[in-house]
Amino acid sequence: MTRTKLRGLLLVLPATLWLLVFSVAPVALLVAMSFWTSSIFGTTADFTLDNYKVILDDPIYFKVLFQTLRIAATVTVVSLIVSYPMAFFLATRSNRTKALFLVLVFLPFWSSYVVRTFVWLPMLGRTGLVNTVLINVGLINSPLDWLIYNEGTTHIGLVYVYTLFMTLPIYLSLDKLDPSLIEASADLGAGPWRTFRRVVLPLSVPGILSGCVMVFLLACGAYVTPQLLGGTSGIMFGNVIAPQYTVTNNWALGSALSVVLVLVVLLCLIVFGRKVRLNDVFTGG
Amino acid sequence: MAALSSSFSDTNKTFSLGRTALVIYAGLFYAFLYVPILLLVYLSFNDSQTIGLPFKQFTLRWYSQIFNSQDMLAAIANSVVLGILSAVIATALAVLLALGFRYDLPMKGLLMKIVLMPILIPGVVGGVIYLIFFGYGEVQFGLWTTVLPVHITWVLPFAFLTLLPRMHGLDRTLEEAAADLGARPMTVFRRILFPIIKPGVIATMMFSFTLSFDEFIRTLFAMGSQRTVPVHLWSLLSNQMAPFLPAVGVVIMIISMSVSLIGFALTARSGRSVPVDDH
Repeated sequence: MTRTKLRGLLLVLPATLWLLVFSVAPVALLVAMSFWTSSIFGTTADFTLDNYKVILDDPIYFKVLFQTLRIAATVTVVSLIVSYPMAFFLATRSNRTKALFLVLVFLPFWSSYVVRTFVWLPMLGRTGLVNTVLINVGLINSPLDWLIYNEGTTHIGLVYVYTLFMTLPIYLSLDKLDPSLIEASADLGAGPWRTFRRVVLPLSVPGILSGCVMVFLLACGAYVTPQLLGGTSGIMFGNVIAPQYTVTNNWALGSALSVVLVLVVLLCLIVFGRKVRLNDVFTGG
Repeated sequence: MAALSSSFSDTNKTFSLGRTALVIYAGLFYAFLYVPILLLVYLSFNDSQTIGLPFKQFTLRWYSQIFNSQDMLAAIANSVVLGILSAVIATALAVLLALGFRYDLPMKGLLMKIVLMPILIPGVVGGVIYLIFFGYGEVQFGLWTTVLPVHITWVLPFAFLTLLPRMHGLDRTLEEAAADLGARPMTVFRRILFPIIKPGVIATMMFSFTLSFDEFIRTLFAMGSQRTVPVHLWSLLSNQMAPFLPAVGVVIMIISMSVSLIGFALTARSGRSVPVDDH
């Protein structure tokens, strides 16, 4: 082994060991534990497939898993629609004002997502802003109760909490775009819409894919937002996993549910995101 | 001249048709982002026993209440110390890792996947793995025994991804020349490498601090009896809708926003954009 190669290995060694212990090992234990047995006496390493059988037998898990994927997919699409024009707006600012507009987009996301979820309670609650405005305008007489604690609220909350992960990568790919391509397209007689569709949009596909993967991934693992805003109808898979540990103490079933969630999410990414290389999503290509 | 234009912004003309619509849209987008936050700030001064409108009277008592609450102050202290330690340790590990990534390494692709793993695992699962890991290993749950390693692990990939592009352009021959001239590794790092990467390292630490400060779901499963700020807020939210909650939210926002803003300014000066905080 050459000296330079050894130097490289020594440099990556501390972080690699750290991650093997605190990331790889816990995940390995999770997978192992999904085949173990939980009883009132605790969880023991007796091999069983029962946990997975329970998940297959009880339709509630399928229902919530499907609902989770549906909510995550909808949130991803809505985020894309909401974010694309904004990313375009940011990319087309002059260099002088760009930093300001960017910081204004970042700022709300620089605080805990517990807070960012919580802000929707005074927005949509009975005495919230939306109800108050609607009553004062005279559109309604009494507060609307369906504004909050349902699947719709979960959607709003998740889009609000995660949309930056869509805006940012799209902005980055638009910002990198060579302006002479747009001029060339215009010079060759293409109108603005056609230039957008044939030049700008295809070149921003990497950013779109990165954003979709990120938002989908984050939304699938959501716990806080559905718990706080979703009521009983807007729950997601995370809200089914957590009680196995905090309420019923069925660690083995909880682990099996976790494994199912991870596998299904990865499968979705592989099926729908074949063109995306995961490393590129996070390293910006 | 037009052909020499160097920025996408110069091509505004091509899309002049939709320009007004775009500005209006951006206004709506900012409203979507800021109306809920401004409402929270407004309500934090509302002298009312319930969280909501109408605005009864201006008061500062919710703020004085939280700054007189032992639990809240302890949570803030816990989060700040935890954030600083996580930021320093994770950034140190990430600097070495990013420096090492400039070399040809065996199984580099696999290593990259291991590094990204904490980000790729869905949030809830990212929490429960630590409950079973430390629970099964019979580690005493606490701020320094379990929460700190969890935060370092969570922050590490983001710190690495922030540093990687800066390190990538760093010329290896500089250090190798210094080493050939007889400088010891620590001297090479202190005298040659660190001065070059310092702005990036500081920005990464600030960014890492806010990631740790805002972390919730992993902390919830890995913690003992001492709470961090987001967990404290969560327990307040779950127990009762206390009227001082908006003020708690505002205090949390101010702390992490100001640290992030300083970090952003530092990074902007050193010429790179900051990736965003996850959750």
